[in-house]
Amino acid sequence: MTVGGLSRTPSRARRHSLIAAAGLAVSTLTYALAAGAPGEPARAAAEPATAGGLPGFRRLNESQYVRSIQQIFGPTIRVPGRFDPPLREEGLMAIGDSHVTVSPSGFEQYELRAREIAAQVVDDTHRKELVPCTPASPTAFDPACAARFFASYGRQLYRRPLSNRESESLLGLAKAASDQSRDFYAGLELGLSRLLVSPKFLFRIEGSQPAPDYPTATANAMVLDDYSLATRISFLLWDAPPDTELLDAAERGDLRDQAGLVRQVDRLMASPRFQQGVRSFFADMFGFEQFSGLAKDQAIYPKFNSDLAKDAQEQLLRTLVDHLVSRQGDYRDLFTTKKTFLNRNLGALYKVPVPEAGMEGWAPYVFGADEPRAGILTLAGFLMLDPTHEGRSSPTIRGKSVREFLLCQPIPQPPPNVDFAVVQDVHNPQHRTARQRLTIHQENPACAGCHALTDPIGLSMENYDATGDFRTHENGALIDATGTFEGKPYTGLIQLSRLLHDSPAVPACLLQRAYEYGVGRSATGEDKDWLDHTGQAFMRDKYRFPSLLRRIATSSAFRRIAPPAPVGPAKIVASR
Amino acid sequence: MALWTRRNLLRGMARGSAVAVALPFLDLFLDNHGEALASGAPIPTRFGTWFWGCGVNTARWFPTKLGADYDIKEELRPIAQFKDKVSIFSNFNCNLDGKPNLVHWSGVMATLSGTAPTKGGVSGGSSEAPTIDCLIADHIGKTNRFRSLELACTGQSGVSYSMRTGSTVNPSEVDPINLYRRLFGAEFQDPNKADFTPDPRIMLRQSVLSSVKDDRDELMRSLGSADRQRVDQYFTSVRQVEQQLGQLLEKPAPADACVMLKEPGKSQLGPTWDVAMNSHDLLGQLLVMALACNQTRVFNMALSNAGSNLRKAGDPVSFHELTHEEPVDEKLGYQPKATFFIEKSMETFASMLRMMDGVKEGAGSLLDNSLILATSESNFAKIHSVDNLPIMVAGRAGGKWKSGQHISGNGDPSSRVGLTIQQVMGLPVTSWGEGAMLASKPIGEVMA
Repeated sequence: MTVGGLSRTPSRARRHSLIAAAGLAVSTLTYALAAGAPGEPARAAAEPATAGGLPGFRRLNESQYVRSIQQIFGPTIRVPGRFDPPLREEGLMAIGDSHVTVSPSGFEQYELRAREIAAQVVDDTHRKELVPCTPASPTAFDPACAARFFASYGRQLYRRPLSNRESESLLGLAKAASDQSRDFYAGLELGLSRLLVSPKFLFRIEGSQPAPDYPTATANAMVLDDYSLATRISFLLWDAPPDTELLDAAERGDLRDQAGLVRQVDRLMASPRFQQGVRSFFADMFGFEQFSGLAKDQAIYPKFNSDLAKDAQEQLLRTLVDHLVSRQGDYRDLFTTKKTFLNRNLGALYKVPVPEAGMEGWAPYVFGADEPRAGILTLAGFLMLDPTHEGRSSPTIRGKSVREFLLCQPIPQPPPNVDFAVVQDVHNPQHRTARQRLTIHQENPACAGCHALTDPIGLSMENYDATGDFRTHENGALIDATGTFEGKPYTGLIQLSRLLHDSPAVPACLLQRAYEYGVGRSATGEDKDWLDHTGQAFMRDKYRFPSLLRRIATSSAFRRIAPPAPVGPAKIVASR
Repeated sequence: MALWTRRNLLRGMARGSAVAVALPFLDLFLDNHGEALASGAPIPTRFGTWFWGCGVNTARWFPTKLGADYDIKEELRPIAQFKDKVSIFSNFNCNLDGKPNLVHWSGVMATLSGTAPTKGGVSGGSSEAPTIDCLIADHIGKTNRFRSLELACTGQSGVSYSMRTGSTVNPSEVDPINLYRRLFGAEFQDPNKADFTPDPRIMLRQSVLSSVKDDRDELMRSLGSADRQRVDQYFTSVRQVEQQLGQLLEKPAPADACVMLKEPGKSQLGPTWDVAMNSHDLLGQLLVMALACNQTRVFNMALSNAGSNLRKAGDPVSFHELTHEEPVDEKLGYQPKATFFIEKSMETFASMLRMMDGVKEGAGSLLDNSLILATSESNFAKIHSVDNLPIMVAGRAGGKWKSGQHISGNGDPSSRVGLTIQQVMGLPVTSWGEGAMLASKPIGEVMA
């Protein structure tokens, strides 16, 4: 299995030079590793070496922020205010998080939010449960109790213990506030709001340390420090910060030892929070941020409303988690499975009877052999996810989604000087179906290259309208859903899904995205050998997604950090 | 307050008649219980940008006659009544000089940041340099509560063309209620109130932010250069909020035109044009009062995103899609459905001018004491052309700007307009922009 898209795609042309430049150095590292470092477990020693990225500086996204607060302070704490908009870069929001910062109005919101959260934590309802000690007097500052409070929450919010300087500064602030208002808890409140506006909470700031398991020949080799590794692992598996047990393990140095690392990873994967982590990953990989504010024209799609969009999203995620986590299924079978979940809204959209349990909530459902649904691409959660067209389906966007989200093959933007008139004129009697309209692209060489990648895929999905409703005709003309994928002809989305099921590019893309999601940067040529190697293992694991995450979380590549140097390639070439 | 009449307001509301506008909102403007003071305090000059997506039809928008008293073509008709306060700039280009034409992105960022971007497209992108509003806000915005305000009319906070270098936009307020609470909520200090007591809790909040700044050096040491820039922007944001708090501790200078508003009722948000124009007017009315009450001196208003998703309710295609797919009507010589949105965009801009001109300040109006740079990302969106970008500058900068002219740039970079504005706003710059967008000669004709 090779990793597609990594070295072939035009938008990543920039990396060709990196890949070429790094080639020799990578083989040096591989050699060093193969020679075997003392204490390195056998499986990890077989891993091809990677160069690692720079330590990350990743903004928490909105759900990570909310989840952090609720994991640390409990689900009854309200998180108000607006967040800066997220950014998708190189195929993932998780990569965008490594590129964004905080705008002034975004910070204004963080400051307001911090005060409101802190006020709730020390209010009468929560104080007893959340403040770990009782002050000597409620009207005076009690440094011992305050220190306990800040040590506990500071460690959880910063995902590492506070330094002496940090706790002294907090105690100073808290004392001033307590003294001013003659209220001990006002001091805790102010100090907590200080923790909550810190970049050390709002960003995941990674640190590195020399790698113990690299021989002296590569003395520069660096890995994440223990707390940063704990944080990477918990966000990969839970999309949430490390709990105290994982922080304790990091503090003891357990994560430096492969067995200790595996123990923690397995513990996290056995937790109910793991399902949330899997949901977050796929919501990112499949572009679910586009559901926010998704609209279809009500006059054209009367069944569409924001509830239906929410249900479609939930159905897809439930189907994924059930198949991948509960059943430990083969990732590829997601493209063919007839098993899903239904509620009343979706039953109406799919025109199928909803089981009794689904009238009030969600019920498991198996699509019949004669129903035009099999696999996640035939579900509304995939089919309606196009925020750029509110009044029709777009084969180009759908084809682009399959290429980019499922196959990791980025499609270039259209050239600036294009006349789209014929393509989208639905009133032309010669061009009643999308296929007839899109044929024009194939006659224009400037368009043909990219549209040949997107349109055949999208056109074979035209039996499903912009909400996912099944249809056989468009504007009175029969829809032709034939296509060719990877050289193989097929008819309709279900047959396309079967070909995707069999395509090696599909699991390779999942692997690449899961790795990128975890490390917060795009995979480069320096990661290719490791990705190929891990892809083989993924195949041996029968494409079970939890096994893949476990491999990633416990790998050397996952914790590898590039040595502190100007930029990667120049340094590597020079050190040769 | 004479021009804040029921008739004007009803006209604004009627235009959004398909929209349910909560009636109590009208009271907001009719409930004139704060008398303006004649304080004699100096009147500040304000700066704003006003953005609309998908350009214009050259022949129907640009005047033919150069200089003062230019002719008004069909698409500019809505601004005719403000002609002496609006200048039109033609033949100012986004000079790409080998950089790609990033569709619906290059044009606007070149004009607003003085540098053609290298990354982006119809869904947004990165900026190689800070946009002009940030530069001006850094210069004139420090003594106000908000360095600047960003507003967008289609309900999406990511629609904003204000950004510093990188890929973080300054997000927009989209909901009039939220904007109201941010501006005129509990923290608002009425500049015309006689008594003033600083709130000691503000000082504690300042001490929190001041202690956050102590983290800066440690972070800068530990991160790579790209991330250092992001850390730097984070701390710039912290400093700005700290300064906002600082403003709350000082007795505000009286502001003649400032009147207290009531909180608006709930209104619909979204990209259908009538809803968006209604949002524009509601946000605009709050903005105008924020300016009059010295809460900010800088703003950015975006009617829609650049690949405009404005559309008519029940119509499957948006403005952006129409520009590309609608045939040019041979008799008319333009795309009638797409042009509807161009004309509506100009009406909406005229509505902003009307609101600003309706606030009396000194011998003139708020509009006279402002400069508003209005522009779009394309000339003709159908083919994404970025030559001859449509650019207007409204206002007189308190007399420092000679308004009401049509000026041709003869193919010069559009950054010349931005350079001129910066100089008029008092920024000590002699040139602005990078590469083919570098401008070193201001437009002398408009400088008083």
